[in-house]
Amino acid sequence: MTTTPLRRTSTWRVADIVVASVIAVASGVVFWGWNASYGFVSLAFVAFPPASAFVSGMWLFPAVLGALIIRKPGAALYCELLAAVISALLGSQWGIAVLISGLVQGLGAEVIFAALRYRLWNLPAAMLAGTFAGLFGAVTEAYILAYFVEYTAGMKIFHVVAMSLSGLVIAGILSFVATRALARTGALSALPSRRANLEPVFGTVRP
Amino acid sequence: MRTAHTGHRNGLEGGTRALAITAENFSWQHTDREQAAFSQLNFRIPPGQKVLLLGPSGAGKSTLLHAMAGVLHHDETTTSSGTLSIGDHSAFAHTATVGLMQQDPETQIVQAKVGDDVAFGAENLGVDPAQIAARITPALAAVGLSDLSAEHPTQQLSGGQKQRLALAGILAMRPSVMLLDEPTANIDPEGAGLLRQAVLQAASDSGATLVVVEHRVERWLDAMDRVLVLAPGGGISHDVAPRALREDLHLRSELATAGIWIPDYLPATSAFTRNPGATLLTADSLQARRASAARAGEAVDLEIKAGSATVIRGANGAGKTTLALTLGGLLEPAAGVLHASDVLAGDAGSTPFRWKAGQLVARIGSVFQEPEHQFVAQTVAEELAYGPRRAQAADPDAGFSQEFIEQRTGELLERLGLLHLAQANPYTLSGGEKRRLSVATVLAARPDVLILDEPTFGQDANTWREVVELLGEVLLDGAAVIAVTHDEHFARALGAEQIHLEAVAAPPGSPRQEGPIAAAVPDSWLARRNPLAKLAAIIAITVPLIATIDPVSGAVVIVATLLMLPLANLGIGRFLKRAWPLVLAGVVAAWGIALVGEDAGRTLLTLGVFTITEGSLAGGFATGMRALGMAIPMVLILSTTSPSDLGSALSQQLRVPHRFVLGALAGMRLLGLLAEEFTTLKLARRARGVGNFGSPVQRLKANLGQVLALLVQAIRRAGRLATTMEAKGFGVGPRSWLHTPHFGWRDVLVIGVGLAVATMAAMIAVWTGHWNLVWS
Repeated sequence: MTTTPLRRTSTWRVADIVVASVIAVASGVVFWGWNASYGFVSLAFVAFPPASAFVSGMWLFPAVLGALIIRKPGAALYCELLAAVISALLGSQWGIAVLISGLVQGLGAEVIFAALRYRLWNLPAAMLAGTFAGLFGAVTEAYILAYFVEYTAGMKIFHVVAMSLSGLVIAGILSFVATRALARTGALSALPSRRANLEPVFGTVRP
Repeated sequence: MRTAHTGHRNGLEGGTRALAITAENFSWQHTDREQAAFSQLNFRIPPGQKVLLLGPSGAGKSTLLHAMAGVLHHDETTTSSGTLSIGDHSAFAHTATVGLMQQDPETQIVQAKVGDDVAFGAENLGVDPAQIAARITPALAAVGLSDLSAEHPTQQLSGGQKQRLALAGILAMRPSVMLLDEPTANIDPEGAGLLRQAVLQAASDSGATLVVVEHRVERWLDAMDRVLVLAPGGGISHDVAPRALREDLHLRSELATAGIWIPDYLPATSAFTRNPGATLLTADSLQARRASAARAGEAVDLEIKAGSATVIRGANGAGKTTLALTLGGLLEPAAGVLHASDVLAGDAGSTPFRWKAGQLVARIGSVFQEPEHQFVAQTVAEELAYGPRRAQAADPDAGFSQEFIEQRTGELLERLGLLHLAQANPYTLSGGEKRRLSVATVLAARPDVLILDEPTFGQDANTWREVVELLGEVLLDGAAVIAVTHDEHFARALGAEQIHLEAVAAPPGSPRQEGPIAAAVPDSWLARRNPLAKLAAIIAITVPLIATIDPVSGAVVIVATLLMLPLANLGIGRFLKRAWPLVLAGVVAAWGIALVGEDAGRTLLTLGVFTITEGSLAGGFATGMRALGMAIPMVLILSTTSPSDLGSALSQQLRVPHRFVLGALAGMRLLGLLAEEFTTLKLARRARGVGNFGSPVQRLKANLGQVLALLVQAIRRAGRLATTMEAKGFGVGPRSWLHTPHFGWRDVLVIGVGLAVATMAAMIAVWTGHWNLVWS
């Protein structure tokens, strides 16, 4: 009986591409579903608009979830960019500029996983990636795309901090919990994260 | 090697010759228990032979088929030895063209249009586009889909049609071998008959070697040359001629024990005597419909008595499932009345749809067709305890004490033979185990009415018998059973009363909802332009809007867009229908800025700490116009550009890697399906007692559970879709393209217009003194 050695490859298989795509698509469905059942989430924040940044982590979770599941270079960037494409297709108030947001947010998460040399997929890594996705996205929205020109300087900083925190919790922690829950169902059996639920929450995995 | 022959009867045979399949001591093992494995297989299937492959569940039939198709992947959990060859080469070398069809129709289709989907596999093999085009019509004809145009959206096909379309795609690849993995398991009997016919036609047209895996043997047996039976754990246990399955009594009893539906065999079930009791549910001219926009079904009168069985039958599209959901208190009746008697309702009121989820589970239990839709817990034991707990929480007098729940759970685990799996994750069970569990989870809360949707679909004979026996006991206990099914044996075994629903004809001109991303766009001047030109134009228009925040530049863009509506053949009504959510979002953005923006001028309104002043209102107006200016032109582009054309142009003209572009497009095609599934999940989970009640934390947990369930389904589908794409040769070599995007002077004009609008917007803003650079 021959044993195939463990292969760690950074090239994307067809299954990786399609799963990553469908994660982005499913995220789009979830946003759509939540919008449909709760009305516009942002309406809840009409009283203090900058506070809406607290839920914007919701838009960042494809980046971290995709990376934690696919574990390939570029997964965070690809999933977030595709999620942005889908929100543009479904109709986004920011039109084509939503692609810039997606690109930058995905880049924020990607930078962290790259810095960890695509070897660490634990909770701190997920939290950092989520935070950076929020940070990159918020800085772009507040200072480069300048969606909130009329905000005071303090409000812009509030926006950046709130979106980073939101990224930490919603994109970081929730994605991590979701990945483990998915691994328990066996749905990830064909993917590198198939045993995510058995890996240490804080430690590293020895190959 | 593909060599061209000429003079074929219909252009499908020849090209590639049929190849033999040879296994020599071939083994494949997994350390995970997810997939079945086998060892020491030895057989030779000569070219052109038609083989039916059988075996008990878990014997590795699917794994073997995937291996033959070369789409089985090694990872750290697998070991293999021996060889499996197609012709003279290893199956894993992908030298031969091997077609594979799996059982889930939704993931056998890759492209959005019928013609493109037929072409997909041949494109991946690098076949000359002119040849591909010539193959499409005969391939569609061979599978009985001649009446579909190449532009027909694949999303609108029925399950059976999707399977036949997938087969047409395989034919267009000119396969040496065709492999079918339970092709009819997920489609209704009528569709299954047509599919069988198409498969046999395709096999005879192409002459390819054919291997079919199927529980329902009767359907295929007489058309096959040979039957191979896999032994659990390894080896071939029988290698016989098809008639042996009718004549060899020893073989028949062995296969029947393994759960295979051998010809002329029906599992023996106990005879039930029943005494219908009190009336539980009354339907009076009840009409069901899925959503407020959908059409309603036929009006139905029903009286459901305790201890009685009722079977709902009828053609596809008659609304059987929707009626079941309505009877289950999950959908609001479109018309007529569904009345729960006092015996059933207790103090909950007579309208099931108004009951809380916890009240519902103890009264009416609904078992959905897909067991996974109803899993809400981490272990099998928790899954069984969930319903009674919910019922107890909703009604303290329900009588589900902790001890009672434990006892009931233990009883059900034992009764279903799931005791050893009590701590397993429900999703990791086998198909039959999942089915039994899904029935048991609903029975756990002891509902008086049990409603099941296609409880025997795709089941092997053993699971079938278990389900029938279980329901027989439910009837003896005095509960009522209602089932939607095509299975007349099932209806007879339960002694059910049958009602037939007539199909409600679709009103002309109302195609099935396509989902938010259209496959084909209506023809117009703008629709014929190159997608990249439109993309470039819209980027040009967006640049000044990002740079400045003023009401004028946005207004210029909006006016220019409205003037161009005729180019898109878009009336103002249809345009507004697509644009209104964006208008609303623009208003919300404007409001946000007006509230917090820098105050200047006269105060107009004071709201707590915020004041709306003339200055902040102007800021808000500018923000709103800017958002609309960015969003509105997108509406124009989206309604004239199909995603697949855009993807095609991105790959061919911008050289974006086609694996990613086509992978993304294939994933996006699942958008509508997943959206539908998300809605179904909500109903399926309400039927388990998950409701929108309780504290915000509980609600959040319920929502997150629904999201997780969606992700599980999405990732499973993605895996199957990836297998389909790989089996069609995707992602290996250089590919040819059926359609080549054209870029001409009109496309240059589109970019020119984009630049002109952008320049005009900026200049008019500057001239009128409104230009307001955001970075200053």
